[in-house]
Amino acid sequence: MSDKNIGVMTGSSFDAVARDMLPEAKERYYNSMADMITAIKAGKIDAFLADEPVIRYLMADNEELTFIPETFVDYDFAYAFPKNEEGQKLCDEISEYTRRISSDGTLNRILDTWFGRDEENWGASDYEHLPASNGTLTMAVDATTTPFIMLYNGKLTGIEVDIAAGFCEEYGYGLEIKNMSFDAVLPAIQTGKADFVGAGLAITPERAESVLFSEPHYTGGIVLAVLKADAVTETEDEDEEAKGLWDSIRISFEKTFIREQRWRMFLRGLLTTLTITLISIILGSLLGFGVYMLCRNGNRVANGITGVCTWLVQGMPTVVLLMIFYYIIFGKLAIGGVWVAVICFTLIFAAAVFALLKMGVGAVDKGQYEAACALGYSETHTFFRVILPQALPHVMPSYKGEITGLLKATSVVGYIAVQDLTKMGDLVRSRTYEAFFPLIAVGIIYFMLEGLLGFMVNRLSRVLDPKRRKNEDILKGVNADD
Amino acid sequence: MIRIEHLKKEYPNITPLKDVNTEIRDGDVISVIGPSGTGKSTLLRCINQLEKPTSGRIWMDDIELTAPDCDIVKVRRKMGMVFQSFNLFGHKTVIENIMMAPVDLLGRSKQEAYDEGMRLLRTVGLAQKAFNYPDELSGGQKQRIAIARTLAMDPDIILLDEPTSALDPTMVGEVQAVIRDLAGTGKTMMIVTHEMSFARAICNRIFYMDEGGIYEDGTPEQIFDDPRREKTRRFVRRLKVLELNIQNRDYDFLEMAELISQYCRRNQITSKLENRVQLTFEELVEQLLLRKLGATRIQVIMEYSEKEHDISMVVRFNGPKPDGYPDKDELSIMLLKSTMEALEYSREENQELANQLTFRIKNEKA
Repeated sequence: MSDKNIGVMTGSSFDAVARDMLPEAKERYYNSMADMITAIKAGKIDAFLADEPVIRYLMADNEELTFIPETFVDYDFAYAFPKNEEGQKLCDEISEYTRRISSDGTLNRILDTWFGRDEENWGASDYEHLPASNGTLTMAVDATTTPFIMLYNGKLTGIEVDIAAGFCEEYGYGLEIKNMSFDAVLPAIQTGKADFVGAGLAITPERAESVLFSEPHYTGGIVLAVLKADAVTETEDEDEEAKGLWDSIRISFEKTFIREQRWRMFLRGLLTTLTITLISIILGSLLGFGVYMLCRNGNRVANGITGVCTWLVQGMPTVVLLMIFYYIIFGKLAIGGVWVAVICFTLIFAAAVFALLKMGVGAVDKGQYEAACALGYSETHTFFRVILPQALPHVMPSYKGEITGLLKATSVVGYIAVQDLTKMGDLVRSRTYEAFFPLIAVGIIYFMLEGLLGFMVNRLSRVLDPKRRKNEDILKGVNADD
Repeated sequence: MIRIEHLKKEYPNITPLKDVNTEIRDGDVISVIGPSGTGKSTLLRCINQLEKPTSGRIWMDDIELTAPDCDIVKVRRKMGMVFQSFNLFGHKTVIENIMMAPVDLLGRSKQEAYDEGMRLLRTVGLAQKAFNYPDELSGGQKQRIAIARTLAMDPDIILLDEPTSALDPTMVGEVQAVIRDLAGTGKTMMIVTHEMSFARAICNRIFYMDEGGIYEDGTPEQIFDDPRREKTRRFVRRLKVLELNIQNRDYDFLEMAELISQYCRRNQITSKLENRVQLTFEELVEQLLLRKLGATRIQVIMEYSEKEHDISMVVRFNGPKPDGYPDKDELSIMLLKSTMEALEYSREENQELANQLTFRIKNEKA
C-alpha cells in the first residue's frame, strides 16, 4: 500500500488504524463520508477506511464501491455517556435494554430494515411524541454517520434512533435529538449539552477513558473501501455523455432538492442562517452604537473594558469563540445553539460597528464640531445633529462589507449543533454523495442572500445620504413663495 | 460688555497668552493684529470657551463665563463665531445651515427661520444659492454664508477668526464688503486679521498682540500712524529686525557676515542692497569703530521695512565721544558716505553703549 492515498475521516479513530496497519500509505483527511466517496470516484484517493456497516449500507447506492472483507480492527458500536452518576445510571438502563432486544430478535429486525433498504419502515419510530414521564433525554448525533444516524425526508432517523426510541418508550423518557458535527458530539455530553451520544461511535480504549459506553448493539470493524475492479470509469463516462450534461444536472437537481423534499432542508437552513445574521446585525449595531456612546467622551473605564472585549472578540477565530461560548460560558445553561450563535455574532458585529463608528466620526472635520458648539449646540446635540449624519455616509460601504462578512462567518455554526445553510448542504451531501451540486447550490444561495442584504444596506445608505433629499422635503412646512 | 482679567492659556510646550486684561465695550469693532503665534486666535477662542483658559476670568455682562457653573452652551448662542475654514455643515443645504440653529436652539418656527434666512442670504448676495450644498460653493461664498449663519442667531457679539485668510485673493474683497457692512450696523465685533488696511478702515479699536498679551491697545490712528511701543512700530511698518552684538575685538567677523547675508536672503533683499549693507558693516564696525575709535562693545540693529524696501540701522558703541568727524581723506569714510544717508549722532552719558549712530542705507530709489 505504499504511495497510496488513503482517505480518513477527521476526528475518527481511523487515523490510528491507518498509521498502524498501513504505515506507508498517505493519509488524506475528510470531513464526511460523502466527501470521501466523491474523492475516491474522482481518483484523489485510492481507498478509504470506513466502518463495515457504513460501507455495507453505501454499497447499495454506489455500485462501483466495494470493500476488502478482511477487517483491520473489530469494533463494537455503542452509545456513549458522560462519566458521572446520571450517565452511569442511563448507561446501565440502555445496556440492559440492548441485551434484551438482541436476545429477543428486535435488534436484528431493526438492522434488517436499514441494511435491507426497507425504506418503507425508515423513520417509523415516532420519538418526538413520547410520553416523557421520567424526563426527556437529549441525544447528540451526527447525521452524517449513515446508517446509524441519517436524515430521511428531513427527519433524523437511523439504527441508533430506532433503538433509542424503543428504549425511551419502554423506560418512560422523552427523546430530543440534537444534530451536530462529529467533532462536537463528545464535548456535548461532557459539558452537559446532551445526555448521551449516538453517532456510530466505536468503542476505543482512548474514548473509554473519558466517556462510558453501553452494551454494544452492533459489531463491525474497520475495512478498506475501494472501487470495484471492474468499475471502469470509462463506461460511466460514456453513460454520462449519453445522458448529456443537461440531464446530469437535472438528476443532480432532483437528488439534491426534490427527492425526500430536501429543498425543505435548504429552506430551514436558509432561515436559520438568515435569523442568526439579521438578529446579530440588528443587536450588534445597537450594541456597537451604545458602547460607542459610552466610550465617546473618553471615559477610561468604559474604554478599557471595550478595548479588552474588542481585543478578545476580534483576536479569536470565530469557531473558537463560538465553541467557548457554547461549551464553557453557556455550558451548563439550557440555551439553544442558535441563541449562542446570535450572542456570539452580535458581539463580533458590535466590535466591528464600534470600530466603524470610531473611524467615521474621526473622518468628520473637527471644525464641524467647533462650529456647532460656537452656535450654542450642546455636546450631545452636536453629535446627533452634525457629526453623526456626516459620519454615517462615510462608513456605509464598510458596514455593507461587514454584513457580508458576518453572513459568511455564520457558516461555521454547524460546530455548535446549529443546522444552518452550510450544515444542511453537508447533510444533503451525506445522502446524495455528490459534492459538486449541493456545494454550488449552497454557494448560489449565499450569493443571493448577500445580494439581498446588500440591497437593503444600499437602500439604507440612500436614506442616510443627506444629499439625496428633495427640496420639498427640506422645506416641509415652509411657505417659500415670498 | 466683555471683561477679561488675567487670562492665561498654557499648552504643554507653549504659552500663547500669559496675562490678558481688557474690556470690550458695546459697539466696539476691534481688530486683533500681531505676528503669528502670539495668541490672537487663542484669545478669541478663549472668549467663547472653545479653549478652556488655564487661569483668569472672563465676564460677559454680568455672567462669568469662566465660572464652573456657567451654562456656556446658552452663552454661546449670544456670541457668534466665524471661522477661518468656514465650517459650514456639509450635510445641509445653505438655507438649512442658516435655519438649523434658530429652529433647534431658539425655538423659532421653520417659517420664521426660513424668512429670516432668506433675508440674510439676500444681504450677503447669495439668495440664489439657498439650495446648494456647501461643497458646491467658492470659498468667498462659503464665508459669506457662514457670516449669515452666525447672524441668524442674532448674537450680541461676533468673533471673526481670520475670516479671509483661507481665501483666494480674488475673493477677499466680497467677504470684506460683507464684514464692512456689518461693522456699519453697530454690532460689537472682534476680528483677527492680517489685512491691516481693512482693519484700519472698519475698526474703532486695534489690539496689537505680542509677548503673551495685548501689547498695545489704541485707535487705528494711534496704532498705525503713531505707535507708542517699539514692537508695534516694527509690526505695522512691517519691519524685519536683525540684532548683532559684538562683545570684544576678537569677534568672528565671518560669522557676522553670514548672519547678515542669511537675513537678507530671508527677507528677499536685493543683492545690490545686501552688498551695501555688508560694505557698511565692514567699514563702519571693523575699520572705523574697532580700529580707529577703539570701541570694544558694539550693538548693531538693522531694520528692513517690507513696505518701503529700505534698511535703517542703529549702531551703539562704548567709549568716549568721538572728536568730531573723522578724517575726510580716509578711504573708509569715502566708502561709507556712498552708502549711508540721514546720519544722526546722539549720546546718552549714563549708558554703557553711550554713543548712538542712526542712518539709512542708500537705495536705488533714494
